[in-house]
Amino acid sequence: MKDADRALVVAVTTRAVFDAAAGDVYGMGVAFPLLQSLQKVNERLLEKNPAESLLFDVVLIATDSQQQSSRIISSTSHYGLEVGRFCFSSREDLVETLVVNNVQLFLSTDRDEALQVSQKGVLSALLGRQEAPSESLRVMLCGDAIVRPDCDPVPASRGAAQSFSARLGEMRGRFGVSGSPLSIVLVTSSGGSKSCGVALQTLRSRGLSVDEAYCLAGAPRGPILSLLRPHFLLGDGVIDLED
Amino acid sequence: MSEIKAKDFAPTGDAGEEKDAAKAHFDNLKTNKPRPPKPQYAVTIAVSSRTLFNMVTERKIYEDQGLEEYVAYQRDHENEPLMPGPAFPFVKALMTVNARLRQLYPDSEELFDIVLMTNNHAQVGVRLINSINHYDLTIERFCMTGGESPTGYLEAYMTNLYLSKDSEKVSEAIEEGIAAATMFMAVKENELSDTQLRVAFDGDAVLFSDESEIIVKEGGLDTFFAHEKKFENTPLAQGPLKCFLEALGKLQRKFYAKNERLNCPIRTFLVTARSAASSGARVLKTLRSWGLEIDEALFLAGAPKGPLLQKIKPHIFFDDQMFHIEGARELGTISAHVPYGIGQKYNKGKLIESPAKKK
Repeated sequence: MKDADRALVVAVTTRAVFDAAAGDVYGMGVAFPLLQSLQKVNERLLEKNPAESLLFDVVLIATDSQQQSSRIISSTSHYGLEVGRFCFSSREDLVETLVVNNVQLFLSTDRDEALQVSQKGVLSALLGRQEAPSESLRVMLCGDAIVRPDCDPVPASRGAAQSFSARLGEMRGRFGVSGSPLSIVLVTSSGGSKSCGVALQTLRSRGLSVDEAYCLAGAPRGPILSLLRPHFLLGDGVIDLED
Repeated sequence: MSEIKAKDFAPTGDAGEEKDAAKAHFDNLKTNKPRPPKPQYAVTIAVSSRTLFNMVTERKIYEDQGLEEYVAYQRDHENEPLMPGPAFPFVKALMTVNARLRQLYPDSEELFDIVLMTNNHAQVGVRLINSINHYDLTIERFCMTGGESPTGYLEAYMTNLYLSKDSEKVSEAIEEGIAAATMFMAVKENELSDTQLRVAFDGDAVLFSDESEIIVKEGGLDTFFAHEKKFENTPLAQGPLKCFLEALGKLQRKFYAKNERLNCPIRTFLVTARSAASSGARVLKTLRSWGLEIDEALFLAGAPKGPLLQKIKPHIFFDDQMFHIEGARELGTISAHVPYGIGQKYNKGKLIESPAKKK
């Protein structure tokens, strides 16, 4: 059980982790590579410091009555996934479940679900598709949200986003420039190189050191995003990776 | 308006694009800078950090002390602008052409778009952006890949020409069909035009394929002359830089259309070791068959290129043979090596033992 105050609690829906399949064990879903990456980060953190408390704490949330709790638990164990907690909730109670479990980031493949959660102030993001397992956990940040003049209304999850990125920055800081199991990728869609530079420095001042930066300045996002293959993208509100 | 690129790419949803366009417009209202052109209309030039700026000192730190020290050094010197690198005059000249194009065609997106394409870490990027701002360079797009080869991103940014100091990355790009060259600083600095972009190209294995060069290397000069005469009316196959010359030509014609031929801010040169009498015709006929013009064709008949280039003063000179690159540099011409074709297997006329290929 991870240290409740220090861990970065990440919740993922079981629908995203497991694919319905016949037999006792579920197939691997979209979120599978993500969980493996989160686990790898934890392993490397503990390697550096066996007493490390700033770790990812994964919570699996089942809102889908189609998936059976026993099969979820046995599938998790079958694949050797490290899950801190299982929560069996309903769609209506989802946000409450997240809040009660102190979830700092909610990941889903369902856009409506992610939006609903985000509007209630819990940081939420859509999962990216990974064709092949990647060497590191790739977190993409949308820089436009960082540089944008304060918009009205301020997105409900902005506070949560800022505190999450500060903690993430602390975690990233445990590793050196190269060979990190966690990569922070900044993308700005509009605005030129100057504003992307401002985003880099703003993030740095908040304790988050970015590894890769891509300034699109109005160029189409699709080709770049398909190359960058983030596990998820953080920005104002919920952003489609398939854009 | 003819497209400079005939490339298809998956468009973003209309709503997304509109929102981006509106946001970009809003941003530019604030900064007074013109909006960067859409990649599918622009002539995109990707430059690496070491071609844009002089990073010789920093490179040495990286090689001697490793990546962490290098990044720390760059961070410590973040507010000191870097000195110009070999591609700097070329980039300034591109900006000059853009200013003229905007005067004549205020709504057109057929412009040069300069992209910084580097595998530097984003923390080093802060110094790069500060330096770009210091010189007021119009570089609005960039990729800082933090270690990964940027080659994959060249296509995503619809790159027409890629300039780097790293010959491996350049070779990779050429293999992907993207015009690319390895840049070399000149030993001394010639004074270059600040009103006209001047680009010089070698012919064989740069604008044209290396088919004729193969004949010279394997059969000697006499065989070569006989072959070229025989096939005078058969166009040569394309070389890696042909498409870039084509893109320059399309922009030149925009000036001609507005009666600016005499005052055109782009001038192209062919500087070839071929001789006009014996093997020159095929070259000119090939260009004509492609619908391409070159402003000046200079046939050296084997004489060294350095002195002539010193007179021409191009912002960049492309050649496939290091021998010519060295000769050009020595006399003050910024040169770019195109690692293509049979010339790579030879050094000063002698066949090099090829090293085992890296896996």
